[in-house]
Amino acid sequence: MRIAVCLKYVPDPSTIEVDPLTGLIDAGRVLYMMNPADESALELALRLRPSNGTVTVFSVGPVEADRLLQDALAAGADAALRVWDDSLGSLKPIVTTMLLAAALRVKELPDLVLCGGHSVDRGSGTVPALLAEHLDWPVATDVTQFELRSGRMRVQRRLARGARAESEVTLPAILGLESGLVHLRQASLPNLMRVKHTPIPLYGLEELGLSPQDLHFPAMTLHEVMPPRPRTRVMFTPDIHGSVQERVAQIMSAGVAGKTGKILESGTPEQQADAIIAFLRQRGFLEQPT
Amino acid sequence: MTTHPANQQFDVIVVGAGPAGSAAALLAARAGLKVLLLERGEYPGAKNASGAVFYGSAILNELIPNWWEQAPVERHICRRDIAFMSPTTAVALDFRSAGVGFATAPYNGFTVLRPKFDRWLAAQAEAAGAFVLTSAVVDDVLREKGHIVGVRVRREQGEIYGKVVIACDGVNSFLAKKAGLQREFHPHELSLGVKEVIGLDPAIIQDRFHLTDNDGIAFEYLGAITEDVHGGAFLYTNRDSLSLGVIGQVSSLVERRKRPYELLERFKAHPAVAPLVRGGKLREYSAHLIPESGWAMKPKLYTDGMLVAGDAAGFCLAAGLYLEGMNYAMQSGLAAAETAIFACQKNNFSARVLAAYQKNLKQRHVSTDFRAYRHAPSFVNGPRLQNLYPEMVARGMEQIFRVDGTPKRKILPLTYRMVRQSTIKPGQLLRDVYQVARAYLW
Ligand SMILES: Cc1cc2nc3c(=O)[nH]c(=O)nc-3n(C[C@@H](O)[C@H](O)[C@H](O)COP(=O)(O)OP(=O)(O)OC[C@H]3O[C@@H](n4cnc5c(N)ncnc54)[C@H](O)[C@@H]3O)c2cc1C
Ligand SMILES: Cc1cc2nc3c(=O)[nH]c(=O)nc-3n(C[C@H](O)[C@H](O)[C@H](O)COP(=O)(O)OP(=O)(O)OC[C@H]3O[C@@H](n4cnc5c(N)ncnc54)[C@H](O)[C@@H]3O)c2cc1C
Repeated sequence: MRIAVCLKYVPDPSTIEVDPLTGLIDAGRVLYMMNPADESALELALRLRPSNGTVTVFSVGPVEADRLLQDALAAGADAALRVWDDSLGSLKPIVTTMLLAAALRVKELPDLVLCGGHSVDRGSGTVPALLAEHLDWPVATDVTQFELRSGRMRVQRRLARGARAESEVTLPAILGLESGLVHLRQASLPNLMRVKHTPIPLYGLEELGLSPQDLHFPAMTLHEVMPPRPRTRVMFTPDIHGSVQERVAQIMSAGVAGKTGKILESGTPEQQADAIIAFLRQRGFLEQPT
Repeated sequence: MTTHPANQQFDVIVVGAGPAGSAAALLAARAGLKVLLLERGEYPGAKNASGAVFYGSAILNELIPNWWEQAPVERHICRRDIAFMSPTTAVALDFRSAGVGFATAPYNGFTVLRPKFDRWLAAQAEAAGAFVLTSAVVDDVLREKGHIVGVRVRREQGEIYGKVVIACDGVNSFLAKKAGLQREFHPHELSLGVKEVIGLDPAIIQDRFHLTDNDGIAFEYLGAITEDVHGGAFLYTNRDSLSLGVIGQVSSLVERRKRPYELLERFKAHPAVAPLVRGGKLREYSAHLIPESGWAMKPKLYTDGMLVAGDAAGFCLAAGLYLEGMNYAMQSGLAAAETAIFACQKNNFSARVLAAYQKNLKQRHVSTDFRAYRHAPSFVNGPRLQNLYPEMVARGMEQIFRVDGTPKRKILPLTYRMVRQSTIKPGQLLRDVYQVARAYLW
């Protein structure tokens, strides 16, 4: 069994200092680390690995990310691969995913890809799902437990408000794991010393068979960063057109209105998707078609 | 000596990547020795109280010419102030120099932020060929037939072998104790320093402290700042921040039930200090022990297979006017490396050969300085010099300058009256004057 683990190189939140004068992060003081969710993913991969199996770690990131891949090797991963290209200016999750998918294909595709559910910096939580789309594999996100049973992966997923769901996916598959499930084992001293100067294979766009055009998505430009401003308080006033009873009820509830939602149970997936889009349009989250 | 696999056998193992350890590793690696530098922190400097004046510029310049051009330094110190404080007043001695060595290369001192500086220095050792391993906590020394032959790191298969171990693990050295070279310290021999780094616009710093470009200033404060706790305070300018802190003798902190951060808050609120830190934003807070008793705390500095350097050896001059540890740490680290190089040439690592360390320390003026100032710490840590006299000076000045309709007194009668009113006996005063002179003048 071949297991791949995606490791993201992220800033350690405890070292982030925002310059009070400019509102910008003081880059000189930030330390980087392995994304915590990815750390537990790596540990679980090492525990799952059968004696004839392998664990390969992947990261899309600058040269500093080598340290994190070396740490993974010291902990027991069999191989590592880093993807980077100096032409990569800014990375959107969709680009990162495309690079990861290409990197997974460098050798024979694995049977299982473990990701963290969310990164601690951008944390869009989209990479596992986008990766599934790229590889056309099943994906389970928000996974808290998994178990391999006769070639199928049984997973427990965390849902909202403490609910759990049990599902089963067939391999090959992608799992997005919650953080803090387990601690990464400590590397032995000989391993730590061995990996210190282990070179990590680097794949650029060319080696991955991609061209900059493949990665061309509408770009977003950062114009300005501003320190947070407190939100203006809106005083609640009851609707003067309502009856006395309605106004009293509004005052008593202090303007809090419960969220209303609708559960879509019937229809084909296409019809359900249309219903969701119509709902979002109605609420002004999507533009009306022209 | 038993042989071990080549990848676990080093010529020199240095424990602790502070200024002592990195300097030792750098010099030993340059001599072609196989050097391992072990540091418990995630990176060198991660565990070190940040913000300090480094007075070892000339020493480092010998190893890395014009080092300040590439190192993360903040400002070079060309103004030093010593202030005597009462609760409401301050009298300061202001030293400024545009002279050679202060305002020009190789400079006398630089403010540095330790996490950055220590990291840079360790990187220099690495570039010289030392193997630098972080996240490696040393738990014990390894012995064979009474000789120290290596250390144990707190990890699986953590045994690692070296012909010479140099303990640079800082104050209260665990290693020196494990090796039986150091005793436990008494609380009166240790001080606790609490320190803050306060962010401030460089333009405001230059304005407020009358500095130009990268000039910097170091203030030391004596007197009522620490109330009845024996200690002092300091404030240094960095590029866009201030490092300031209070140092208090551990035993008197305990006795007077004072918390160090209370003293720090009081210090920042003092009328002579508050305007200097106004508008600043707290960036970092840290606390660290300082060995204060100098010569009296010196452990046995070597044994079969091991040397001790830096704070681990008590080489920190913390005596009133001086708060210098990094420069002595570096000097002693270099002396230890020279000794290790010598032992490797002789291929003999017994205490008899390592005794050359003493000569090397003398050549680098470490032991001579500490012998010269051996009387300073115990006396400086006394209540009269740390609290009473500075306060008397400050109050005396207040009376000299006060115009309130009463007849002006000349300074001598005024002093006489103040001594009379205080608890000091004239004989004691004379003895103290002698002691100050003995501590600092000859
Ligand atoms: C130099 C640089 C510039 C960037 N610029 C931008 C920018 O301009 N705009 C922007 O939106 N983002 C930018 N990013 C961040 C961008 O790379 C996203 O963080 C990334 O696409 C993943 O999205 P996410 O963090 O939301 O991942 P999530 O979906 O929250 O991550 C889930 C899991 O996916 C895996 N994963 C995610 N990222 C990687 C990775 N790089 N390598 C390996 N596995 C990974 C991990 O297992 C992770 O736990 C930049 C990053 C770098 C290093
Ligand atoms: C508040 C305060 C202000 C000071 N101001 C100044 C100043 O302005 N100028 C000045 O020159 N000096 C100053 N000093 C003193 C100075 O900090 C020390 O003298 C100096 O750091 C000593 O250097 P060192 O290399 O011996 O030890 P340290 O700098 O303490 O380094 C020891 C290193 O060893 C590591 N270590 C410890 N134990 C282990 C272990 N078991 N395994 C692995 N690694 C270990 C530590 O993590 C650390 O990195 C100040 C001290 C304090 C507390």
